[in-house]
Amino acid sequence: MGDPVDGPVDGPVIGPLPPGGRRVLVHVGAPKTGTSFVQDVLWLNRHSLAEQGFLYPAERFDEHFLAALDLLELPWGGLERQAVGAWDRLAERVRAWQGTAVVSHEILATATRQQVRRALESFGDAEVHVVLSARDLVRQIPAEWQENVKHRRTVGYGEFLDRITDPHRTGELASWFWGVQEVPDVLDRWGGTLPPERVHLVTVPKPGAPRDLLWQRFASVLGLDASALAPETNRSNASLGVPETALIRRINERVNNGVLRNEDYRELVRELLAHRTLSLRTGSPRLGLPPDVRTWAVDLSEEWIEVLTERGYDVRGDLDELRPDRIAPAFSDPDDPDRDDLADAAVEAVVTLLDEVARLQGTERRLAEDLEAAYVELERSRSLRFRAKRRLVLEADRRRALALALAAYRRLRRSSSRSA
Amino acid sequence: MTYLQDVWSWQQHLRSGGSTSWREWLLTDRTGVAVPAGWSEPGAAQLEVVRRLALRRLGGPGSEDRPGAFADLADLVTSRSGPGRGLGQQPLAWGPEGTGSGHPGEGDPLSGRFPASTATSRRHRVGAPPVDPAEVPLEELVRVGVGALTELLLDPGAPPDGDRHSRRRAPAFGRMTGTAPFLLDGAPVTVSAVRQALAAAGHSKPGAASGVVLLAEPFDQALAQAWSARVQHGSPARWAGFVARWSGRLELPRSADLPTLARTWADRVGAAQVHVVVATGGVQEASRVAAEVLGLRTGRRATPSRQHGTAALPPAGVDVARRVNAVLGVRVAPPEREAALRRLVRTLPAGPARMALTVPGRFQARVLERAERLATAVREGGYPVHGSPGALVPGFSGLPTRPDLQDTLEVVLATCLGLARRPRSEGAVSGG
Repeated sequence: MGDPVDGPVDGPVIGPLPPGGRRVLVHVGAPKTGTSFVQDVLWLNRHSLAEQGFLYPAERFDEHFLAALDLLELPWGGLERQAVGAWDRLAERVRAWQGTAVVSHEILATATRQQVRRALESFGDAEVHVVLSARDLVRQIPAEWQENVKHRRTVGYGEFLDRITDPHRTGELASWFWGVQEVPDVLDRWGGTLPPERVHLVTVPKPGAPRDLLWQRFASVLGLDASALAPETNRSNASLGVPETALIRRINERVNNGVLRNEDYRELVRELLAHRTLSLRTGSPRLGLPPDVRTWAVDLSEEWIEVLTERGYDVRGDLDELRPDRIAPAFSDPDDPDRDDLADAAVEAVVTLLDEVARLQGTERRLAEDLEAAYVELERSRSLRFRAKRRLVLEADRRRALALALAAYRRLRRSSSRSA
Repeated sequence: MTYLQDVWSWQQHLRSGGSTSWREWLLTDRTGVAVPAGWSEPGAAQLEVVRRLALRRLGGPGSEDRPGAFADLADLVTSRSGPGRGLGQQPLAWGPEGTGSGHPGEGDPLSGRFPASTATSRRHRVGAPPVDPAEVPLEELVRVGVGALTELLLDPGAPPDGDRHSRRRAPAFGRMTGTAPFLLDGAPVTVSAVRQALAAAGHSKPGAASGVVLLAEPFDQALAQAWSARVQHGSPARWAGFVARWSGRLELPRSADLPTLARTWADRVGAAQVHVVVATGGVQEASRVAAEVLGLRTGRRATPSRQHGTAALPPAGVDVARRVNAVLGVRVAPPEREAALRRLVRTLPAGPARMALTVPGRFQARVLERAERLATAVREGGYPVHGSPGALVPGFSGLPTRPDLQDTLEVVLATCLGLARRPRSEGAVSGG
């Protein structure tokens, strides 16, 4: 096993560059394990990383997401149209890089074996390493439901749990959940053709561990100096409480029938309400698992730990961190939230939206005033110039010298325009 | 025999055009199978799609234009995953768990498939649960088939488009209707069908009595035709999603909003020149009325063509097109996307102008209420109305509320087989 929960993290676990001089680390997930944070650090430090021989190939912050959509042929509310050819472009930059390149997106976890093969082959002769970050299942299940809710789904929590615990895994919801969260299977699909030492499992520390421990573990796998890249990002997938998630789910039921376009939903519901407002309400009950599902998840976690131990992957952290806590907090059901809590969350949402409406109205007023001022200025300018030009032209009709001068001026202006 | 040997041998059987089911295959005498190094086994859905293709091929024309066409198609299907979201790639149910059984005379070869009762009974098994390929859900077969179909449409070895005329700019009135040259508007599939019927009858030019004919269908049919038209222009919208989206808005798709259409045309030509033809009597009857009110004169007869306007596709055909659109959206840039979609629409089986489809039950009350308002607006709009506006209110009875998934699969399979038979140039997609 790897390091203890709060112990030091050793230096790079990956050896010197292979003879070809190319190495690629593919970080494939899982969602809700700090992936956004890691991607943000890599994105913000991409220039200094390049000077140290590390490539994070991205011209825009969501480039790896688009590449993943392309690889997986995955529609994503219209965003996929920006993804055409994105994986091949990413792979081309990886192949051209002498040194270590990092590719990271959590939805890659759901790739099939054929898609994995295409991805690995696209890196040419680079030495491939696969990295997966993992958190215990009891924390991951409610987090995934919450993520579903923040993506416009209206499925209730009870139904969500029913679907994912159905061993047949029928339906898109269960299939997606297991596709990204079944740690041994994700590693088998992505790392099945690689030696185990090139498959790296980073476990997410338990609550209470040092704040930067997860980053230190990532950095050690990537071969980076964690202290030199002090993470200064605020980006993370903040979690919601029980009444807040229930509120967003109810909002979804009302805005999904053509009321809000995807881009408006992203801006107003997910970003403004969920991320910037409701996630700040930390006093409300947290999402958890009902006792029967918790028991099931604990048993499954034990199986996973057993399988992962047998496989001999490089573990950064400790497999014991995938074992859920023995003490379960009281379960609060988001399908039947406390009415007062829900009303409080709703009032806060209304206030936030009123504030936003007032802000936008102010902006609208200022824009209207600016526009009006521009019109006035344009009219004034147009009338002065127009009157002067008209008088000049009329005079030119009467005076030949003026007509010649005007013609010369026009020729000069045309010539000047062409050369510009 | 190991699991991989069995899967490999079944794949080879299917690739050669065999259609034996997996369950039956495990009861056949199969020895001396050598699995090539580096081969990775396809999933149950992919192999079952190949089997369904083989079955359909046996029941179809049977002849292939190109040697090896079916083997190439089988390789294509088994070498790629289904696009988008769906079930994980499922292994095939095979013998009593862990014993490698499945030999002739051992009873049910799939008796050891994982019990469905609890997840914990699948000790140390990870990944999607195994399945008898014959029991893979239709949705999953369609998804895999659509992936292969998209590859065939993007195949660099495909014959030239040959559809340049359809990109030609239509005359002014044609641009308004998506067709040319009659002044027709309204339900887009009916408009195209009536235009073709008029052209076939020799009516080629507007006559002296210039006017506009709005072809009106029951409101649910108008929505279905608007959906078909959107899909034929690249939309990936599902039927239920399309209806849901419009049911939550005040505005309607342009072609289904008869009062607004009529007002727009009345502003141009006067209300008396806007004829609303209720097309519930069929295309021929609507064509006759349209010719009469437009004062069309008979000219040289033209050959009807599917190239212009909105094609009449059955609901399953539209369903296939919208699924392909979803994949094309992430695969290629707009020009190739449009070319591939045109190719698909030409290849899909034609349906009657009237689509056998109505809105899902949860939207019917709202659609009914909206249709009644539309009918009233048409009745009281001051336009000449030919037929009863009351017929615009849908009856809903006896019509399916969604494309039939089995039909969709059949369309996918038939289209794949049709496209795979074509001659292909070097560089065409092939799996291995």
